[in-house]
Amino acid sequence: MELLRVESLTKYFGVKKLFGSREELLKAVDGVDFSIKKDKVMALVGESGCGKSTVARLVLNLIKPTSGTVLFRGRNILEFDRKEMKAFRKSAQIIFQDTFASLNPRRTIYDTVSEPLLIHNLAAGSQMKDAVAEILRSVGLAPDIMNRYPHEFSGGQRQRICIARALAVSPELIVADEPLSALDVSIQAQILNLLQDLREKTGISFLFISHDLRVVKYFSDDVGVMYLGKIVEYAKTDELFERPLHPYTEVLLASIPEIRAGDEKTPRRGALKGDVPSPLDIPAGCPFHPRCPKRFDPCDKIVPSLSGQNGRLVSCHLWSSS
Amino acid sequence: MSLLAVRDLNIYFRSAENPVRVVSDLNFSIRESEIFGLAGESGCGKSITALSIMGILPSNAIAEGNIFFRNKDLLKLDRESMRQLRGRDISMIFQEPMTSLNPVLTIGYQIAEVLTTHLKLSGKDAMHRSVELLRMVRIPSPEIRVKEYPHQMSGGMRQRVMIAMAIACDPGLLIADEPTTALDVTIQAQILELIQGIREEKRMSILFITHDLGIIAENASRVGIMYAGRLMELAGNRELFNDPRHPYTIGLLESIPKKRGILLKPIPGVVPRPEDLPAGCKFMDRCRYAIGECGVREPELREFSSGHLVRCIRAEEITWNY
Repeated sequence: MELLRVESLTKYFGVKKLFGSREELLKAVDGVDFSIKKDKVMALVGESGCGKSTVARLVLNLIKPTSGTVLFRGRNILEFDRKEMKAFRKSAQIIFQDTFASLNPRRTIYDTVSEPLLIHNLAAGSQMKDAVAEILRSVGLAPDIMNRYPHEFSGGQRQRICIARALAVSPELIVADEPLSALDVSIQAQILNLLQDLREKTGISFLFISHDLRVVKYFSDDVGVMYLGKIVEYAKTDELFERPLHPYTEVLLASIPEIRAGDEKTPRRGALKGDVPSPLDIPAGCPFHPRCPKRFDPCDKIVPSLSGQNGRLVSCHLWSSS
Repeated sequence: MSLLAVRDLNIYFRSAENPVRVVSDLNFSIRESEIFGLAGESGCGKSITALSIMGILPSNAIAEGNIFFRNKDLLKLDRESMRQLRGRDISMIFQEPMTSLNPVLTIGYQIAEVLTTHLKLSGKDAMHRSVELLRMVRIPSPEIRVKEYPHQMSGGMRQRVMIAMAIACDPGLLIADEPTTALDVTIQAQILELIQGIREEKRMSILFITHDLGIIAENASRVGIMYAGRLMELAGNRELFNDPRHPYTIGLLESIPKKRGILLKPIPGVVPRPEDLPAGCKFMDRCRYAIGECGVREPELREFSSGHLVRCIRAEEITWNY
């Protein structure tokens, strides 16, 4: 069953230069389509500024899109009234990268985890403590930490608390925006196992935003690769990693530093030239063409469209004819 | 012959009670024109070790032991001799290039300053040389860029400027402390390629500090793994990744997601605080191979095989395949 569907989602920000009068358009998200099925994890990958976090915020109606629709269980969340919106907030939760910023330093863990239960009338009075204890246990924390404050915990534990808060309302969808990026490797593995375990036990769907391709490969079912506000390739995770089609995806995969046992020395890969262009000044034609090692005639003139078969989509002139 | 030799280095932080030891009996050396990788998680003491080599420890830290650089003990040098050496013979690049550059001075001025200070170049010559250096780190149109300010550049460009500054006086040793951690993967690949190229051209040694074992595997010739202020394992690149013998090294390798669906085996628990480390082996509490004897006394960093040092009494029994 389809839980979330995003159609031609677009978000432009007006940017005014200091002392300037003209407003420029920053195309953060520029016509993005995807869907997430129940029980599935869809990952969005890309470099900073590609618009992946903006998509996360749009999907939860934290910011309004310039155009496009976000359908949750087939209904447009942008048309929800107050009551419907509250119900949606219970169904869709978010966890962030910066756990320090996402927990109120002056509130105890109990306050933080019980608040969503209170808002949505899921527990009251004497049951509240038990409910919070149960949720904390489910993320691998001892219930006796309830009366402590966020600063008393390590980054990994704080992320567990954030996950506990998200889980409190038994959501159907969790948007995870770089949930592992601020953590050490050994702690990353702990949290990743926790997420994997939750997936299996609860069937929660994830929109998983990350720049770490190793984690995406491990955790997601489908991947959308974003570049300058657009999805340039979309595929099942295994297929994408086995055979990337878009030249940008190829480079991204080749850029992962890997440990390959047995090799005397890993071969040097060809690094991509240049920086990501500013989203205020997106190149004409294919936005990737100035950096693309495989560009040819039409690339700087014609914008390729995202097309393909059997859910394997790519936006590149190399593949558009076949 | 080794260029740098760290001998019995201990670093303490003064505190209200007893001084806290954050680096403990550290011994390693860096050979001419090699990349020595130092890896470990936050708080393991890798960055503070780098700061002690540069002679820029915070004022509440004390370093004891010897750091021999070209047979001079850096810890015995007076302030003025250390100042002359720093930036000329040993230089350093950091994780965050924005905070390492002065926002109100041009790129050119900041590079030229190194040259006028250490090489006594005239202002004009120094500026000329700055352009050359920017070209060497492959910044496009260096004549124009040299007059720009840090905020006008992207993160990758700023890190290139930092590298230009660091190599301005052809140092014997470059310390790179997480130089690509703040960068996107494709930019990370560019910077790593640049650092490798410069090392080959200038035959300089690099102390490469990172938490990313993938980067170490692809770039370093020898590797030290640190935990709780100690070296736990030290070996040649191939040896370490093909035949790791310390449970912590193995734990780090197992924390890296590989195949989908296979649950990761994270290291349980968290890094203990430096003031309450366990009595025997410092990794004991988190080690799945720990036995009673591990708690009796701390194991020595001993030679397991030629050039492969391990701080574990069970190293012979522990084998692991990637």
